[in-house]
Amino acid sequence: MTPTWLRWMPAVAVPAVIAAGVLAGSVPASARDPLPDKTPAQVLAMIAQHSTKSLSGTVEQTSELGLPDVPQVGPTSGPAANSIAELLTGPHNARVYVDGPAKVRVQIMDRMAERDAVRQGNEVWLYNSKDNSATHMTLPSNASGKEDRGSKTPGSVATPEEVAARMLEKVDASTDVAVRDDVEVAGRAAYNLVLTPRSQGTLVESVAVAVDGENGLPLSVEVRARGQQEPAFRTAFSSLKLEAPDASVFNFTPPPGATVKELALPSSGYAKRDLGYGKGAAGSGKDEQGKLEQGRKAPAAAGRAPSVTGTGWETVVGFPARAGSPAAGSPSIDTLLNDPLLRQATVAVPGGRAISTSLLNVLLTDDGRMFVGSVPLERLQAAAAAR
Amino acid sequence: MSLSDEVSARGSGTAASSGREGSAPRQRPSSWWFLGSELKQLFRRRRTQALLLALAAIPVMIAVVVRVSTAVPPGRGPAFLDRITQNGLFVGVTALIVAVPLFLPLTIGVVAGDTIAGEAGHGTLRYLLAAPAGRVRLLLVKYVGAVAFCVAAPLAVALAGAGIGAALFPVGPVTLLSGDVVEPGEALSRMLLIAAYQTVSLLGLSAIGLFLSTLTDVPVGAMAATIVLSVASQVLDQLPQLEWLHPWLFSHYWFGFADLLRQPIGWESFSSNALLQAGYIAVFGALAYGRFVSKDVLS
Repeated sequence: MTPTWLRWMPAVAVPAVIAAGVLAGSVPASARDPLPDKTPAQVLAMIAQHSTKSLSGTVEQTSELGLPDVPQVGPTSGPAANSIAELLTGPHNARVYVDGPAKVRVQIMDRMAERDAVRQGNEVWLYNSKDNSATHMTLPSNASGKEDRGSKTPGSVATPEEVAARMLEKVDASTDVAVRDDVEVAGRAAYNLVLTPRSQGTLVESVAVAVDGENGLPLSVEVRARGQQEPAFRTAFSSLKLEAPDASVFNFTPPPGATVKELALPSSGYAKRDLGYGKGAAGSGKDEQGKLEQGRKAPAAAGRAPSVTGTGWETVVGFPARAGSPAAGSPSIDTLLNDPLLRQATVAVPGGRAISTSLLNVLLTDDGRMFVGSVPLERLQAAAAAR
Repeated sequence: MSLSDEVSARGSGTAASSGREGSAPRQRPSSWWFLGSELKQLFRRRRTQALLLALAAIPVMIAVVVRVSTAVPPGRGPAFLDRITQNGLFVGVTALIVAVPLFLPLTIGVVAGDTIAGEAGHGTLRYLLAAPAGRVRLLLVKYVGAVAFCVAAPLAVALAGAGIGAALFPVGPVTLLSGDVVEPGEALSRMLLIAAYQTVSLLGLSAIGLFLSTLTDVPVGAMAATIVLSVASQVLDQLPQLEWLHPWLFSHYWFGFADLLRQPIGWESFSSNALLQAGYIAVFGALAYGRFVSKDVLS
């Protein structure tokens, strides 16, 4: 007879083996050859020059912005899967297929549901499986290449590529740019480009972009907020294949029984700007800068243009009462404010109501103006009082 | 339990089993014979048949209710409920979704919790062990029996769903979550894939049930404990404060089969689910071995 303790050995050994396996798996793969040293400028150039035309991969996005989480309980998909704010809470997974600039498909994988954006040539389809609805758009034929990056995935999880491009436009004297130790994203060695605001008056602590060591493709973007352990916003490839996806992926015809809506785009300029609204937590990127420039060019021309105070990371943008583009199909500020999740998130503060997130504060004054900035709330209140 | 006196008491036992208890030690029955009689016993039981019938009743109930009621607005109730009127095959998918959180774990809990404790409760365990079968082999055979039920249970839901759906509603091309459309044949194979996914999902719970079953001589206790654990795991999976724990809960990937309804099929959740369940089988299998081999069998 074997002694009793010997019979319990497997029960001890198996968890030990599993624990050892998990630990071994979490340790970064053994020292691979370090990437050759590069300056920040060289890494930036790598991004600018990268010529990755086709890829398929999975993107993981997590947000810890301090917005209330959408509960995902039971066999139904979340109650507010159509909400823009829903994309900014909790984790999201998306599959991305790209074959050249004119063939793109993004699939946001919700619980028991899926939202799709498919572009083939100038045809763009949006599909939501939850209510079986499809939206069709025809892009103007002159839309091409880089300009389309903004418009091809409206309201979807931004790919690392897009967010990085917008982030890097902010690089100037206000920001310390450095290349830190190499990181590994989706199993690929990558340069770690870290942007740190020189100013103390912003909520952003740092922005890190992982740049593929071989081809310069941005693999992940991570935004950290001051005084928060978890990244406030992170989008990263969790798997990546640099091959052209199967061509059938880009074929989309609305399924039978779906409600199909035709969406007319007024003009390419408007389309680019307006569709940028729902695009990501990093709302202080290119889109805002577009407005910012517009505001400077036409200072209070009709009393409706947004006003700008502060510079660099401390920029505060103020929107006059009932602002917001009247263009068809664009989510105006009113619709944003009526978003049930955002309405829940507002709190009463002196001078109005505020939406506080770890990266961005929004102040809605009692007289209908709106102030937005990556700055503490007091600065928004000061900007509001200054008018 | 054909290995036991129950079968012979019913008069359906083979000569080998009916003669075994009293007779002198004979050659070891082959493992296949052992397994075959266990499976025969399991699926001949009224209780097992009743469990499978109850599972098959879920899609029938859903289909009949949808048939006699007015159209469901999209986005209400379980996923795909609104699609059933357009395509009968969705009955099976909807029923599988409905069955995941409670009905399937419930039936698995009953079967897995009964494995060892049931024999002990009937006082037949010691006869089984008196026969030169070996405790390890008995444990394995019992677990394979529970696995066979894990295969049968989701299959019963899926097939009953496809059948009643085809009977009451039109059947045609199926719209996947991605908006792509596939032919009914492929849709049916995807539904079988979902059933296979659920079989894998339930393997870990079966191993837990087997272990709990070695702890007690009261089968109801092991069944209840298994079912309670499956519910507790799902509750823990909903608490955001325990996010670090979620990937380790055996119920974490239970709803991941939605990836099988996308185009192209996403296999990540299938493989992570299989890996997780394999871990649970290893851990609780080892625990069950430790407990059962060192246990004093008195009943």
